[in-house]
Amino acid sequence: MSNEAVVHAHGAVAAHEVHGDHHHEHHHHETFISKYVFSQDHKMIAKQFLITGMVWAVLGGLMSVLFRLQLGYPDATFPWLEDILGKWAKGGRITPEAYYALVTTHGTVLVFFVLTAGLSGTFANFLIPLQIGARDMASPFMNMLSYWFFFAASIVMLSSMFVETGPFSGGWTAYPPLSALGDASPGSKTGMDLWLISMALFVVSSLLGGLNYIATVLNMRTKGMSMTRLPLTIWALFFTAVLGVLSFPVLFSGFILLIFDRNFGTSFYLSDIFINGVGALPNEGGSAILYQHLFWFLGHPEVYIILLPAMGMVSEILSINSRKPIFGYIAMIGSIFAITVLAFLVWAHHMFVTGLNPFLGSIFVLLTLLIAVPSAIKVFNWLTTLWRGNIRFTPAMMFAIGFVSLFISGGLTGIWLGNSALDIHLHDTYFVIAHFHIVMGVASMFGMFAGIYHWFPKMYARYLNNTMGYIHFWVTIAGAYLIFWPMHYQGLAGMPRRYYDYSIWESFKQFAELNRFISTVAMIVFAVQLLFLFNFFYSIFKGRKVTKQNPWDATTLEWTAPIHPGHGNWEGEIPEVHRWAYDYGKDGKDFIPQTTPVGADESHH
Amino acid sequence: MSHSTTHETHGNGTSEIKKVTIILTVLTIVELALGFWMIGMEHDGLRNAIKGAIVILMLAKAFYIVGYFMHLKHEIRNMIMTIVVPLALFVWFIIAFLYDGNSFRNLRNTYDPHYREQSTIKVEKKEHGAATHGAGEKPAENKGAVESKH
Amino acid sequence: MSTTTTATTGKLWGGGKSPFNVEYGKLMMWYFLMSDAFTFGAFLISYGTIRFSTNGWPDPNEVFRSFPFAPEGVHAPLVFVSIMTFILIISSVTMVLAVHAGHKMDKKGVVRNLIWTIIGGLAFLGCQAWEWTHLFHEGAWWGSNPFLNADGTASSTNFTNYFFTITGFHGFHVFSGVVINIVMLIMTLMDKFEQRGHYLMIEKAGLYWHFVDLVWVFVFTCFYLL
Repeated sequence: MSNEAVVHAHGAVAAHEVHGDHHHEHHHHETFISKYVFSQDHKMIAKQFLITGMVWAVLGGLMSVLFRLQLGYPDATFPWLEDILGKWAKGGRITPEAYYALVTTHGTVLVFFVLTAGLSGTFANFLIPLQIGARDMASPFMNMLSYWFFFAASIVMLSSMFVETGPFSGGWTAYPPLSALGDASPGSKTGMDLWLISMALFVVSSLLGGLNYIATVLNMRTKGMSMTRLPLTIWALFFTAVLGVLSFPVLFSGFILLIFDRNFGTSFYLSDIFINGVGALPNEGGSAILYQHLFWFLGHPEVYIILLPAMGMVSEILSINSRKPIFGYIAMIGSIFAITVLAFLVWAHHMFVTGLNPFLGSIFVLLTLLIAVPSAIKVFNWLTTLWRGNIRFTPAMMFAIGFVSLFISGGLTGIWLGNSALDIHLHDTYFVIAHFHIVMGVASMFGMFAGIYHWFPKMYARYLNNTMGYIHFWVTIAGAYLIFWPMHYQGLAGMPRRYYDYSIWESFKQFAELNRFISTVAMIVFAVQLLFLFNFFYSIFKGRKVTKQNPWDATTLEWTAPIHPGHGNWEGEIPEVHRWAYDYGKDGKDFIPQTTPVGADESHH
Repeated sequence: MSHSTTHETHGNGTSEIKKVTIILTVLTIVELALGFWMIGMEHDGLRNAIKGAIVILMLAKAFYIVGYFMHLKHEIRNMIMTIVVPLALFVWFIIAFLYDGNSFRNLRNTYDPHYREQSTIKVEKKEHGAATHGAGEKPAENKGAVESKH
Repeated sequence: MSTTTTATTGKLWGGGKSPFNVEYGKLMMWYFLMSDAFTFGAFLISYGTIRFSTNGWPDPNEVFRSFPFAPEGVHAPLVFVSIMTFILIISSVTMVLAVHAGHKMDKKGVVRNLIWTIIGGLAFLGCQAWEWTHLFHEGAWWGSNPFLNADGTASSTNFTNYFFTITGFHGFHVFSGVVINIVMLIMTLMDKFEQRGHYLMIEKAGLYWHFVDLVWVFVFTCFYLL
């Protein structure tokens, strides 16, 4: 039924714009609601995703500051905490329940709401139609629904923080039995129900979006835009959508089984359980490992859902600002594809110590280490793109280079963790936290920042302030390494993650100073993100105006659109494409836009 | 031809529909025959072979439904690949899950003597007629027991 | 034809048109069904995993052996479910005929075959409702399993848990398929497609309906035969 509505809505738009070759300026009435709220313009939807993602990033970041406060100053009390958190910080000290709730929500929010919806939601929506030469998404209506499902998921998640028993507190991976039994902890009661509803809505949102991105890239490319002329951003976003469409349904199934376990007396994941104060449960025959399999079947592709858009944007930005073609374009596509395939084959490397069959584990080790090959191809291609380039150090470029740096440092520790034998020692320690925060969390944030700095002029027709941009970059990259580098040492020393207070452990007391140091840096980095936020919102209204249609001298199609593109992107006909997206420094010309026909005397690349 | 709209006939005449219907019917009947054959059979190699045959027949049916009823066979080759290639992920998905499930049973049988013992004790077979009687409350009762603990 | 295909392949992917010669809605439907296949796949694979990690499992022929209106004590394993299976296959055939009629702009054919498909879908749902009711009265439900393992040992509740969850999820798909088909029928009767000049919506609804049939092929095999 929704399908039919979609076609209707599309029919209306299509007749008006998508096929409107004789395109003229819009004269139809746009109300505030249809332009800013229930907009079907991909550019506005992208901004909605971005700003919602930023709200969540601030909340998620603030949560990390709060629990770092606890970790850095386990004995101190902060009366102002009680003012803002109430009973969750009695006497100015975060309670253990609140600590776990903060850790869990920080993870869920950052992984799903910020780095999935906020990253690929923003840039897939914004860049796909503009860079492939389409007036809008295949189905603008479904695109709008995608955002509003995400919005609904956000509201439900937000409301879970205000229930009496608190938000879910069993870790972002929501492993049963903790997540399946309301008696297991306060956070496993209503908070967990809301968490599941929110995540189910989120899955719907990401499916609606992903199907749209795939159909758009395949079907809506402008004339001449063959697949091998697409900018790497589009390739990356395309495979991101493929990953989401194939892996989120598995998580969805896992959640449905979990909902049954929680509410309808089934034992899919439960067996032989005794709860203190309740007694033995009747559930028998289930397997908690099954949930972990289902979860990580999504969970592992998910890290590439987060990472690939950043990789794509970084490739593009590095090439533009080095004034050189991207090195190894086809190899880049091939490695993105290889990563996409391998992403589905390696999930159980998150489960080496769960009781997973060791022989099966050894195959997962092999497949996991294979990921190093495409990752290395990408890294070397980025480095060779930079090599002897005429580099412009714009803030976007700084963040792109920062991404490469972080991806290398975080990726190398992945080789350690991918080995099941080493993982026995390192599993569930700060080493893991350091690894995935650098390679997936901070690196993808850098990709996102690079994208925002680079495409802000296209989004708002104004520039972000460069000085604030440089401060933002240097403090963030220094901070990222200062926060997470020491965690490797803590992890190697055996310091487990998710503990509330390390000061009572003889083995971990030695890290008290280090923890305080990490917490201090975390607060500084958070403060600098607020500076970025200020820059962002200030520049929307007061930033330097864009006067050139193509401010970065880039080849791709979005810079052939007007500075203020309307709904439909191009006035008149959609430009036709004659070449790939990376003709920089060719035949003595600084750059040749994709729309320029190939000259008779032009050399072949 | 290049201007062909989606109206173009996909080459599925009524005769093809008839043919596929008959094939699907025959496959189902063979499956059912194998199913009847298995009733009361000992758990041995032959039984597993029949199960394997049933799985192959199931895949054949899936092939005919997707290929002909859903017209996939008449689509452009590249499109077929975009559907079939991702489905290949199921191979490892199934192998890994089932292998680990089997391993989990072995672990339980090795390290959980109670579990192994339980699965050797035969339970008095309930009479079906008796079970029907008032069985309606049973699930409710059970559920209540679980819920009261929540 | 075949000689021109190679020449046109480049053009197919050259942008400005669909490389598959398929409109975006049908493409999305296909990829949606692919993702839905992963939803069902995950369910069935979970079921398999639990079965593989459990000693013993009930014999489906002992469980699903009743038939409506049959006198008490008559055991007819597989019979009822084979009827359900055939109902779904036949409804799939009528759906193909409806799509086929749509291609030929034959409104009457579309209407007739859609009605048959809807009847088939409702009949299937009716059968399922009867079977569920019957099992419920035998004491089977989520979290409650009155049946013993094939070897006479006690069975875990996961047999019924999975049965009701997966057939329920499939039944939900059948139900939404019937609703979609009813909407298609109404739109056909209102001449919506005649006005549009094509019956592409019927084709998409058809894809969904066949997928429901396809899933049943797997569910039927996994629960009743294996």
